[in-house]
Amino acid sequence: MAETCSRSFDESLLSGYLDDALTQGDAQRVRIHLEDCSSCHTLVVDMKRIRKATMTTPFTSPADEQWDERPQGTGSRSAFTLGWLVLIIWGVGVIGFALGHAWAGPQTWIERLILFGGGSGIALVFLSVLIDRLKNRKTDRYREVEK
Amino acid sequence: MTANEAAAAAAPVDDHELVRRAQHGETEACEELARRHRRSVFVLALQLTGSQDDALDISQDALLRFFSKLNRFDSTRPVRPWLFTIVRNRARDIWRRRKTRRAKPLISDGEEGFSYDIVDPTADPHQDLESTELRHRLWRALGVLSESKREILVLRDYHDLSYVEMADVLGIPTGTVMSRLHGARKALRDAYLEQQGGQGG
Repeated sequence: MAETCSRSFDESLLSGYLDDALTQGDAQRVRIHLEDCSSCHTLVVDMKRIRKATMTTPFTSPADEQWDERPQGTGSRSAFTLGWLVLIIWGVGVIGFALGHAWAGPQTWIERLILFGGGSGIALVFLSVLIDRLKNRKTDRYREVEK
Repeated sequence: MTANEAAAAAAPVDDHELVRRAQHGETEACEELARRHRRSVFVLALQLTGSQDDALDISQDALLRFFSKLNRFDSTRPVRPWLFTIVRNRARDIWRRRKTRRAKPLISDGEEGFSYDIVDPTADPHQDLESTELRHRLWRALGVLSESKREILVLRDYHDLSYVEMADVLGIPTGTVMSRLHGARKALRDAYLEQQGGQGG
């Protein structure tokens, strides 16, 4: 039996063999190869053992009550979205009102500069995050996959 | 009711039929679909993220998205790969947010948030202990692999998806699945042996 595998053998066939996903011809090729190659034989034995352990691992999952506690329908999801929308509109309104009030109020130019300079800084930081997000979205190779 | 009719009524309904019924507004069909798939959806999310909380969020979200788009879903398509695609994409979002290419280890003794069932004792306690330890080591090893290796491994070796279904979930050509899977299996074996060596086993 050879200690090292010959380069001409496509090793990925071993996984296909393990999964019973090969054509008859390829399966036969693998069987013959395994008789002669101890490194591939050991690899198949290890992969089989690991696969069996993976398949038989029990995982816990949430109890039925836990599932029921969470939002179940599209109704709660819509309410959640609507809630955020109302909150955002309210926030924009309040900020707009405050800014307008501050601009019209009896303040010096230095105070206005500090107020609007800070506001512009926050807006620019937010804009940069938004641009990055949009750029990542464009280059996301998984964007075509339906979520 | 004849015996044949009674047997037909008692036989489990397949997913395609349940999807058709759910599309016609049958609430029981929706509930049955959710009950049938939520466990595997949750377990996949847990295996990919290593966090119970994230897994619960992802699985709930996957089911909600499925039901919100149910009318546009082709009832001849299998349900599980579609749900798994959503889970996988959401898990990737989480990985991206964590800013790390390696997710948390799946098994970490005493780690908050991870829950792992120990198998029931069998007739041979020594054999059981050995297999339990093997599994712990194995999932620790799986936890240190890259996400692309981890996802293909769990889809095939735990959830038993076919190569065509895996290609569908992963968005890769079917011809690429075998070589990628083999690379992942070899990496897992190496990581496993490293774990074994590290523990003096």
